Amino acid sequence: MRIRRPFGRLVRRHWSTAVAYLVVIVVCVFVLIPILAGFVTAFKPGPIQIASPPVWLFRPTADNFERVLIAKNGLLNLRNSIVVTVLSISVSLLVGVPAAYSLARLRMKGRQQLLGWIISLRMIPPVVVALPFFVLIDRLKLYDTYVGLSLTYLSFSIPMIIWIMRGYFARTPHLEESAMVDGCSRLQAVLRVLLPVVMPGLAATALLVAMVAWNEYMLALILTGRNTATLPIGAVTYVTRVRVEWGELFAMNLIIAAPVLLLAATLHRHLVRGLTFGMVE
Amino acid sequence: MGSQPGLTVAGEGQTWRARYRRFAREHAGFLWVAPALFTLLAVIIYPMIYGIYLSFVDMNLGQKEAPFIGLENFSFVLKDDIFLNSISKTLTYVAVSVSLTFVFGLGLALLMQKIRWGRTIFHLILIAPMAIAPPVVGLTWRWIYNPLFGLLNPFLGLFGLPQQAPLGSPTSAMEAVLVVDIWQWTSLVFLILYAGVSTLPREPYEAADLDGAGPWAMFWRITLPLLMPVILVVLVLRTVDAFRTFDLVNVMTAGGPALSTEVMSLYIYRVGFKFFQMGRGAAAGQIMLLGAGVILAVYFRFLYRELD
Repeated sequence: MRIRRPFGRLVRRHWSTAVAYLVVIVVCVFVLIPILAGFVTAFKPGPIQIASPPVWLFRPTADNFERVLIAKNGLLNLRNSIVVTVLSISVSLLVGVPAAYSLARLRMKGRQQLLGWIISLRMIPPVVVALPFFVLIDRLKLYDTYVGLSLTYLSFSIPMIIWIMRGYFARTPHLEESAMVDGCSRLQAVLRVLLPVVMPGLAATALLVAMVAWNEYMLALILTGRNTATLPIGAVTYVTRVRVEWGELFAMNLIIAAPVLLLAATLHRHLVRGLTFGMVE
Repeated sequence: MGSQPGLTVAGEGQTWRARYRRFAREHAGFLWVAPALFTLLAVIIYPMIYGIYLSFVDMNLGQKEAPFIGLENFSFVLKDDIFLNSISKTLTYVAVSVSLTFVFGLGLALLMQKIRWGRTIFHLILIAPMAIAPPVVGLTWRWIYNPLFGLLNPFLGLFGLPQQAPLGSPTSAMEAVLVVDIWQWTSLVFLILYAGVSTLPREPYEAADLDGAGPWAMFWRITLPLLMPVILVVLVLRTVDAFRTFDLVNVMTAGGPALSTEVMSLYIYRVGFKFFQMGRGAAAGQIMLLGAGVILAVYFRFLYRELD
């Protein structure tokens, strides 16, 4: 290399930026191909779904969605997923938000230990509790009910909400204290003054936890039957030993993944805090 | 606690209401946590204790009695070659998945710092995989890997490479599943480390630049040490998730062929829900929990030392 030094530095910087673009673009293509290929297949008419090599030019059809939702159980799966997600998130918010507030603001003996204990719940492999969950839910006659599945979802949604919301409360000024000086009870002050301020964070937290419940598979596999099977359970039924209904399977996949992808794109600023339990800001 | 004793009229004549108010003020911290605490005790701690009980009884779904049999479940499981096989599969899975997702995620997070144009769109694409439900990802890749009408073989054909059926053979199934795991979870590592790298201060780099340090030295001497707390969080999360992995493997291979992908979660699931041996499954679960505890204890040793 016979380039003079300041010039050489410039060339090197451009060169490394070009490499960065190249690598990132290649990785993006590798990430996108499975997602897009699946989405496209959801719109393929019957016979070309299994053409090899795959056909990419065709007249898109909504047949697969129609069959999945109307002729098969898709609509029921969709309803079940929505009910279980909403039910478990509402209860978790109801008990989790006050707890998060307390752990951020109020003094209490053993607060640090309690926080550590709550975060350690995230570390339990779900299969370990899946067996006792099944036996207990079966004993309580809650097998294949919304309440049964939602109860088990509380085991991950409450800890998540406590940790993420605690972070939001800790960063908010003590607005409720001044309202309390004016004679409000703490509950009134928090509801009327503090909650409106943390509302964006609260909404993001609720949606993040809802994403986890929406995507949950193992507990639903164990605890649901004909009546309450959620979307992921429904999707798997299109794959049998004998044959796979690829078009219908991908229609189902799209119904599961599209809302979550849109949410993730909207919430991407809140994702880090949510997924690391507020450990990384 | 925010109690203001001067404002409370203490004494015998207190009404129930006033007494409650005082209690609520003095113990507000606990009262606000209590509903969550009791719910968690009911939905997670009680089931875990019940799981310990299960591991000491002969609980077979379909039979009424569950006699106490001491450590028999544990001795059965620990002598079961299939369980020992699942331990080694899990350790392989954790080692490969955690190390490769970490290296790729860190690399992407650093490369993205050089990118100005299209940053948001690249960021959104790179974080997409982790938002998709693992069973959906697994089923999609099962189609890609399908030897008859998947995407993989036409793609290999373009380069004149031999045709494959990656999920069909015990020698390649684990690698094929791991590729998918890495495809999905690199996005999580990237997301967190990218946020971490973006908040690093500029001054140390400028100073190092003046001293003539190269990019390699800057990475090892500045980036890595400053990033350490975030890196440890990422490693803990990834290790926990890889250790418990179930969804992806279950929809792709269900542990086969020939147990080549049967990780611990799948073993416990199979013993409990296919063979209905709840006691044995629960015993294996306790061993798995112990393993998770040991791994975490090692990490937290590091974590606390680094963060303090």
